[in-house]
Amino acid sequence: MNELAVLSKAMFQERKDIVLSILGGFIAGIAGVILFSTSGYLISQTVFAPPLYTLIVLTSLVKLLGLLRAASRYGERLYSHRATFSILSRLRTSFFAKLIPITPGIFNKHRSGDLLARIVGDVESLQHYFLRVAYPPIIVVMVFLATILFTSAFSFWIACLFVLGMIATVLVVPGIVLLGQRKIHGRVREQRALLSTEVTEVLYGFRDLKVYGQLAQREQQLQQASALLANEQQRAAAHLLRGQSMHAFVTFLISWAVLALGAYLIIDGALAGVFLAMLVMAALTVFEEATAMATLPAYKQDSEHAANRLTETVPAFDVQTSQPSGRMPVAHAASIELSGVTFQYEGEWRPALRDLSLHISPGSNTAIVGPSGSGKSTIIDLLLQLRTPTAGDIRFNDVSVKELDETSIWSSANVVLQQSHFFRGTIRDNLLLNGEEHADEQLMDVLDKVQLSNKSLTDMVYEKGENLSDGEKQRLALARAMLRKGRLWLLDEPTSSLDYVTEQHVLKHLYAQAANDTLLLICHRLTGLEEMDQILVMDQGKVVETGSYSELMKKKGYFYEMKKIEQQMIGEDGL
Amino acid sequence: MKRKSSLIAQQMSSQRRNMALLTVISLALGAAIVSQAALLAEAVQRIFVEKASLTSLIMLLSLLLAVMAARTLLSYGNGKVGLQMAATAKINMRAAVLQSLTHASMPSTLRGQTGGKVSIALDAVDEADSYFSLYMPRMMEAAIIPILILVVTFVLHANTGFIMLFTAPFIPIFMILVGLKTKNKSEEKYAELAQFSGTFLDSLQGLVTLKIFGRAERQQKEIERSSLSYRDATMGILKLAFTNTFMLESIVMLSIGIVALELAIQLLVFKSMTFHIAFLVLLLVPEFYSQLKNMGTAFHSGRTSMGAIRKVEQMLAETGGKSNNLNGKQDVDIEVGASSNSSNEMEQVDKSLKAHAVLLPMPPSIELDHVRFQYAPDSFELEAGSISLGAGEQIAIVGKSGSGKTTLLHLIAGLLKPASGNVRVNGIPLSQYDEPAWFKQVSYITQHPYIFAGTFAENISIGAERNVSRDEIEQAAKDAGLGELVAQLEQGLDTFVGEGGRGLSGGEKQRLALARAFLKRPAIILFDEPTVGLDLHTERVLQHSIAELAKTATMITVAHRLYTIQHADHILFMDNGVLVDSGRHDELLERLPQYAEMVDVQRKGGGD
Repeated sequence: MNELAVLSKAMFQERKDIVLSILGGFIAGIAGVILFSTSGYLISQTVFAPPLYTLIVLTSLVKLLGLLRAASRYGERLYSHRATFSILSRLRTSFFAKLIPITPGIFNKHRSGDLLARIVGDVESLQHYFLRVAYPPIIVVMVFLATILFTSAFSFWIACLFVLGMIATVLVVPGIVLLGQRKIHGRVREQRALLSTEVTEVLYGFRDLKVYGQLAQREQQLQQASALLANEQQRAAAHLLRGQSMHAFVTFLISWAVLALGAYLIIDGALAGVFLAMLVMAALTVFEEATAMATLPAYKQDSEHAANRLTETVPAFDVQTSQPSGRMPVAHAASIELSGVTFQYEGEWRPALRDLSLHISPGSNTAIVGPSGSGKSTIIDLLLQLRTPTAGDIRFNDVSVKELDETSIWSSANVVLQQSHFFRGTIRDNLLLNGEEHADEQLMDVLDKVQLSNKSLTDMVYEKGENLSDGEKQRLALARAMLRKGRLWLLDEPTSSLDYVTEQHVLKHLYAQAANDTLLLICHRLTGLEEMDQILVMDQGKVVETGSYSELMKKKGYFYEMKKIEQQMIGEDGL
Repeated sequence: MKRKSSLIAQQMSSQRRNMALLTVISLALGAAIVSQAALLAEAVQRIFVEKASLTSLIMLLSLLLAVMAARTLLSYGNGKVGLQMAATAKINMRAAVLQSLTHASMPSTLRGQTGGKVSIALDAVDEADSYFSLYMPRMMEAAIIPILILVVTFVLHANTGFIMLFTAPFIPIFMILVGLKTKNKSEEKYAELAQFSGTFLDSLQGLVTLKIFGRAERQQKEIERSSLSYRDATMGILKLAFTNTFMLESIVMLSIGIVALELAIQLLVFKSMTFHIAFLVLLLVPEFYSQLKNMGTAFHSGRTSMGAIRKVEQMLAETGGKSNNLNGKQDVDIEVGASSNSSNEMEQVDKSLKAHAVLLPMPPSIELDHVRFQYAPDSFELEAGSISLGAGEQIAIVGKSGSGKTTLLHLIAGLLKPASGNVRVNGIPLSQYDEPAWFKQVSYITQHPYIFAGTFAENISIGAERNVSRDEIEQAAKDAGLGELVAQLEQGLDTFVGEGGRGLSGGEKQRLALARAFLKRPAIILFDEPTVGLDLHTERVLQHSIAELAKTATMITVAHRLYTIQHADHILFMDNGVLVDSGRHDELLERLPQYAEMVDVQRKGGGD
């Protein structure tokens, strides 16, 4: 179980709670067995008409055992759940730690946004591993062993029967169920994923499908897939049900065998008849304690699948080679040089950047423009070392990024990404992400500059900034960047949701602050570019034109044409 | 409210046979449980008290084994019936959901939340499973078997029967109390748990930001801290639940203890009872209580399922209520499984109404006759007076965002049905045409064309009803400016695109949509002009391909480019849901200040 290594580690750290819950479970189980076998014995004893006080002692014992059983069950539940939640917390932190160095790199392989949701879900389903898979067999085996020890005092052969029963319920039946299950469950998952994508596809393409008269046909396809899924699910559930029935039958069979063997031994004179009812009751109860084994295969399968997927997506990342010691100077505006840079997203069929070379001199302002998908944002990802180029080299101040500590790049850059992330907390919390100290006046001043003076520092921001408009998010992200002291500005469409007037106002303050810094701005609009020292025009991963605004306009090339189309645009707000 | 329980009720009524089967099996199962105990007690009696010989026991022992096997099989059978019911119910419910999704009206699909709908079609329906597969069989067993045992116990030994009768109600009562107490709290907790794992997700999604701002390590500690504090809070609730279960188990234990004590006293003091009966009663009592406990757990899973089923019902009610299409027919009938008479009648009425006017000549003229439309009461209302658009004209719809341009386009396309007034095509109301025949003449090029998982060729030919030759597809691809791209691909037109295939850029998708139109050669083209600048190649292809296609069609464009409106025969100017005026560019410039302002302001903004 290599995949479950993380889990074992987390479980080991909770050993105290685990031991306590196992102990509780064992006591509860064995108390149950004693309870019922004692009552069997008790009833049998009445045949010999013993004095009443023995009876009262015995019944009190029975009640005491009943209470002990309930109490230790309580303890078991309490400690096992505590352990489970602690394990979950450990799993979360350890996976988070593992994800830090490989984000956003893993998105090369898995581009879908729900990868993260899947990781969260998988981690959560791992928590069941301890509660449903890891420790129930331990308790069952312990209870069985104790019962076997107890019965062996009466009859060796009956004890042998119990051993047989234990092997059957703990190993054979779950084994048989697991064997058949793997394939069926694989099919169910496959079919479910298929239906899910098909439904999503139909919903997204609804309008087109309707106009193209394809809806009826699609619906039929969906209905077929749905029926297929239900059938596969039914088969999977029936398989599990068969396992449970098998378990039940083994229970009955062993109890029956105890009875039959007991009868033989009694007639043979090897066993006192008064113990028969007790042994039969013991058999019936000890198997009842083992019912958890019947559902174990399902959970085992689930957690193994989750663990597999997690190890696949989050490869065991041995403490990554220590970062190179080169540091990016914070106090100076840097120069940027890309030479022959190619980058291809994993699984994509064409590179996002092809053999790209460009030079940005220190303290200059550069704008990158081009249609969506031309590779603009990828450049910023590469500069921030969030992704590694497939080929080529990137240099800051003539030092290759390979020789620079990535954290020194981050701390010297003021970044606004296309999708800025906000966390649950106040505006102040979200402004001070970097943990730097700033006076409230300073924060208010920056909010004022980005035209957010209507917000107070204590205003709440919801998860992902859900209570902020797109424009507010962009301005808050800009404010966050403006509070930093770096001399390198990397801005990816920071004002795309702002109206023209606000945009100009905000950018004026930004340019003033960045006057002597190196600034790289990805633009969705071709306005306000007259001030730029250099404009790079990109298409299909290549720079197709370079020059100042007036040069490009004079040249009447790609930029000029784009500008002409933009001037034609009417009717959309914010354009 | 009527719908609330109707979904389950419908499922149940369509499964009457299975329910009857469950009843029969449960009865037999009860009989098996009682006879197993009786035979077991009998065997112990014979061996231990009567010291019978082994040979005389063979019959009894084999009978016992047979009963045990029968009990296992009956239990299995009940489970199987439950699974069968669950599968049927799920297929039916999902069929209803899928039908409502595919027959939904445009506004409800445009309202988005695709993820939520997919989750209902998959997760909610799957969650409904346990209602049929667990809850129903268990409830049936719990309704029959304990009563059977109780009756037998009364016959055997009335005192025990009374003890059971008096203690039994405590179990459901306690279960309900446990349920009520913990339910509210645990639901609260559940919501918190969802929110909590949401925070974990939030942190993962913000990891890039956190890294850049050098805060990742701190967030890691934060996750640990909040996880642990969440654990402690949850344990508080769980403690309560566990205490209640503790009480419950104590009651069961106590009851069994009382029964045992009473039996012993009867046996020893009053000597009014035989060992045989006492042992039998002692075997039956735990069966009785465990059945009741099963009911409790089944009840719990039934509740969760019920919640999921309610979600499905809600969605069906929402989309079903508003579903209307070109023919104004209420398409989505929530009748699942059993078809209702009323819907059949409606369909017949509908069919007779569809006089299926013939769509000729092509391209058609289009008239708007006092069209009004509203997505929902109190929401945005669209109002278009009377306007006629000539055959083969090029029409541009212009207005600010949110002014109702796309809604008007959808009304003309027949994707939405006006609340009052008419859209006339060649003088006949659109609702009188056969919907598929109408859409056969329509191409709709949206800003975000839908590319499904399949080859290039399949994606292009989706538009054509007829069988098209490879040459035609190739030509269409070429006409739409895809020739160069296709040539680059190893497998050319057979390359897989869409989900799981080659990713296409926004411009390439636009061109693929054009290729579809080239293949279809529609008489009506609806075109939602891109609001963002695409790559130059696509822009050029768009301009000249659209002009080419428009030669043989009536074309209606939601226009975002000055060039388009300048060349339009007819401009419809929308403002705040109202079709304010229509005319040619220069006419509107002259007489409509808002129009002039819009065109002018935007140009200045762009050209500054």
